[in-house]
Amino acid sequence: MRPLVVTVLIDLPPDERHHTATVAALRHASEHAGSPIEIRVVPTETIYDINVVAAPGSAVVVGPGSPYRDPEAVHAVVRAARERGVPLVGT
Amino acid sequence: MLVEHARSLAGIPDASHAEYGAGGTPVISLLSCSLQDQTISVDLTRGSCLAGLYGTLRALERTNCSYGLAPEVQHIANEHGMQVTATDATGEVRAIERIDHPFFIATLYQPQLSSVRGAPHPVFAGLLAAARSHLQSH
Repeated sequence: MRPLVVTVLIDLPPDERHHTATVAALRHASEHAGSPIEIRVVPTETIYDINVVAAPGSAVVVGPGSPYRDPEAVHAVVRAARERGVPLVGT
Repeated sequence: MLVEHARSLAGIPDASHAEYGAGGTPVISLLSCSLQDQTISVDLTRGSCLAGLYGTLRALERTNCSYGLAPEVQHIANEHGMQVTATDATGEVRAIERIDHPFFIATLYQPQLSSVRGAPHPVFAGLLAAARSHLQSH
């Protein structure tokens, strides 16, 4: 089965508990469903191409830990996901 | 997500988030009661995607949120394709979703904090299921 690309927008450090919990929650869901995923962690100031982040056939998690370093880039991703029907969850 | 909704759909082009300082029309503001490191009870909206994922109309969730939907613009969470899908005991909006989208959910709590191996949180399980379905249609 082709891995599903899940982009996690998050600025918290990789060892911060909300960051680790977000990645872990995706892995729990993946394992339970037998649905392989590729998790791409993207700090908001490195969102260069919303067409990649919110690509059809992928999923987006807007992670916890605002204020984001680049909130306008986050809004652009949210808008793209909304308009294209890309599954998205924000926590 | 609410800021983007407010700017793009709800007719508030200068919608802002109070956490980023003064300016614009704040649609996200500091909660009167901070919810740092708390467990809250949320009531889910019958018939919503979120309630369907949980399979119940009430759940306990962990939260670290200090900000929420500004009281002055509460109405936008139930307009332009958005609907409120969870509220807490004080009536504060705790989750929203789009009714015109396969899976578009925002929570003002942190479902990932209660996910464990073997029992994934339904929001994350639902996200992957929706994305897998979306992937197969492309």
